[in-house]
Amino acid sequence: MLEALFGNESIERVLFYLLQNKTCYALQLKKQFQSTLSPMQQALLRLERGGILVSTLVGKTRIFQFNPRYLFLDKLHSFLQCVYETLPEEIKKKYYETPNRKRPRRTGKPLP
Amino acid sequence: MTAIDFKTISISDLAALVHTKFNEHNMETVLVGGACVAIYSGNRYLSYDLDFVTYETRGKIKEALSELGFELKGKYFSRSDCPYFIEFVTPPVAVGEELVHHFKILDTLFGQIKLLTPTDCIKDRLASFFHWDDRQALEQAIMVFQNQKIDLQEIKRWVKAENQLDKFKEFTKALTKIKN
Repeated sequence: MLEALFGNESIERVLFYLLQNKTCYALQLKKQFQSTLSPMQQALLRLERGGILVSTLVGKTRIFQFNPRYLFLDKLHSFLQCVYETLPEEIKKKYYETPNRKRPRRTGKPLP
Repeated sequence: MTAIDFKTISISDLAALVHTKFNEHNMETVLVGGACVAIYSGNRYLSYDLDFVTYETRGKIKEALSELGFELKGKYFSRSDCPYFIEFVTPPVAVGEELVHHFKILDTLFGQIKLLTPTDCIKDRLASFFHWDDRQALEQAIMVFQNQKIDLQEIKRWVKAENQLDKFKEFTKALTKIKN
């Protein structure tokens, strides 16, 4: 949808994903979009280089989020939200709003 | 011109060299981030990163810095005999939600440096503290405050606009402690 503006589809996917899920990492995006790893890594690094995302290392995983200090963050959010709302519901559910567990679960407690 | 020893060069001298080199190429640059803290704190905070803001293309930056012996390695420019890394961050220069229009010009042995004013440098560090609870950034803001003439009223105005009065209390509390 925003491919022409951003230059590629991966950037759009990363931004929409972060809009809905706050954080992400490259392997997670690869699985989510059944893509290859490299375009996702490239997209994340490109956005980080541009100051739009920031990352932190948690264990061996580099976790990305929107840079709260990015000057145009509010405006970017508003723009992305406007476009996101026009996405078909099935796309939203499939890629961006999948019901993955995010709340904490105590160590050792088996999954239901 | 004094011979340059990149092994022992100070952060301010290197910043001036970069600024001067950019001027030779008719390019503008502003020093931001931790290097400003190092300069304004008299190196009480040591930084090995020089973050510059410029509107120039990567190709032009590369050409100018290659004349100083710095090469692009991933995101950074570095030189094998120099401990500092040079990085270019995306414009515009801003602290929190506000654009920065006024800068300080410092004179050094190797030319001038255009950088954040001490007051904006504190705002920049406080922004990191506000957004990431980065206590190191809070300490850096205090170091700059102790070493420079600061417009505290201006910082208070900015903090209010950023809606961060609660967290700002930690800064003022630390300043009171230092005074007593």
